Amino acid sequence: MTGKRLRTVVLVAIAAVLLAIWAFPVLWALLTSFKTERDVLAYPPTVIFTPTLRNYADVLFGSASLLPNLLSSVIVAGVSTFVTLLLAIPAAYALARLELPAKRASGFYVLATQMLPPVGLIIPYYLVLQKVGMLDTYTGLIVIYLTFSLPFAIWLLVSYFEDIPREMEEAALLDRAGRFRALWYVILPQVRGGIAVTTIFVFLNAWNEFLFAVVLGGNRVRPVTVAMFNYISVEQTLWAKLAAGAMLAMAPVILLGLIAQRHIVKGLTVGAVKGGGRRA
Amino acid sequence: MALFLPALVVLIVTTSAPLVYLAWTSLERIDLSMPWLSGFAGAGNYLQMGADPRFWHSLWLTLIYTVSTVVLQVLLGLGLALLVLRIPKGQGILRVAAILPIVLAPVVVGLFWRTLVLAPDVGLVDVVTRALGLPSYNWLGDPKLALLSVIAIHTWQWTPFAFLVMLASLSSLPPDVFEAARIDRASAWQRFRYITLPLIRPAIVIVVIMRTMIALSAFAAIFAATGGGPGTATEILNLYAYRTSFSELNLGYGAALAMVLLAITLAVSFVMFRARRAR
Repeated sequence: MTGKRLRTVVLVAIAAVLLAIWAFPVLWALLTSFKTERDVLAYPPTVIFTPTLRNYADVLFGSASLLPNLLSSVIVAGVSTFVTLLLAIPAAYALARLELPAKRASGFYVLATQMLPPVGLIIPYYLVLQKVGMLDTYTGLIVIYLTFSLPFAIWLLVSYFEDIPREMEEAALLDRAGRFRALWYVILPQVRGGIAVTTIFVFLNAWNEFLFAVVLGGNRVRPVTVAMFNYISVEQTLWAKLAAGAMLAMAPVILLGLIAQRHIVKGLTVGAVKGGGRRA
Repeated sequence: MALFLPALVVLIVTTSAPLVYLAWTSLERIDLSMPWLSGFAGAGNYLQMGADPRFWHSLWLTLIYTVSTVVLQVLLGLGLALLVLRIPKGQGILRVAAILPIVLAPVVVGLFWRTLVLAPDVGLVDVVTRALGLPSYNWLGDPKLALLSVIAIHTWQWTPFAFLVMLASLSSLPPDVFEAARIDRASAWQRFRYITLPLIRPAIVIVVIMRTMIALSAFAAIFAATGGGPGTATEILNLYAYRTSFSELNLGYGAALAMVLLAITLAVSFVMFRARRAR
């Protein structure tokens, strides 16, 4: 009995270490964000210190305020999420339910577009947007964000649409509801949860995007992921302000992640799971 | 069809058309620092690659980076999942902790590690090594350690993903099979080798495929942590293509590098999906 107990204790200890390794950098940053720059550099590091809100005040309202960047992120991620869902919901429904010519091929095409490495596409995006004068515009960046959010959203939604019993839809069609009305009144309410999860993931990915934002953005459109670099330069690093800024940039995604936590595995494996037939 | 068409059109316009344009660009000489030299180059960019040691170096680093991060994630993720499965309580909180790294932006993770975790004097790791009486290392500034560091960053951020997938797969296994095996006196290793492993193989395959694709498109975390440096110590193909195009403004050559990247990604995904089907 004691042997079993000992084993449990060891296991719990290992789990605690794990927890620490994953959570600690974030907690460390949270702690740092309340320190003065001088406290950050103290050795050995101080755990007990007079917390200050100066960093947050500076980051939000100081000369290099992050507020416009947060707003940029909200606009880009918000609008691209909205447009993505607008296009993805009908497309996913069609892929899941309707007879399409070359259905398998279309499905595979959507999947393939999701795998393209962004670095491979950034050059043509840059050249084209430059030609049409859309570098550093919201429209330009939002359209480009569709390239990774749309395939992802379609695949995730297809899996939810496939879970709806067919009879339900057939009943609606028998009542002469018509495809669109059946979709709107019967099907969509059934996948409300799936749409919510998809929305969260699409927003999260858009919010976290960096490469497109740094190359195709500029002074006007400068999402928060790009603005993080404000606090690091060759001469000096503003540790505490970086930490405060990072906390602000991360707060929304951490919140969304926690809300959607039960669905995260599904969201992350979408596509690969579907790539080879039905899931077990 | 009317439902699917808008999305399809958008995808074709935003992903396939640019690919064609990229292929065309890779045949041109576009050097924004020397615009007077622009023009058609034919296979020039590709020929240049053959004699470019930096290109071969970046390919080599891509291979090391991809293989090591994927192997580490699978081994650590599986090991941790097996451990955690035996913990009677507290799985829930671990799952929440595991989600934390996954939802963070890779660029923020890279910046984090560069400053608060790995920086000399201030970083967490340095504080720990010094407390243990070890010397202080410049993890990202030393060319020998930098690659190790960016591999560690990637592994830190994404092992939770492997862990969560494996945990989900392990918890869905039928317990009666193990009961039967135990009655037959199969050892713990035998049970793992001949029952668990075959049963969770699909999950492992998914993790390997997905993480390989992600590792091949890794960019932001390395960019934030080292920028590909010091020198070219962490310059995987992604970083090289980016630097060539947007730091050295040689878009033609950058496009050719991007084409190689796409070809590799395509080949690897093709092989992996074929291998998966074959089973």
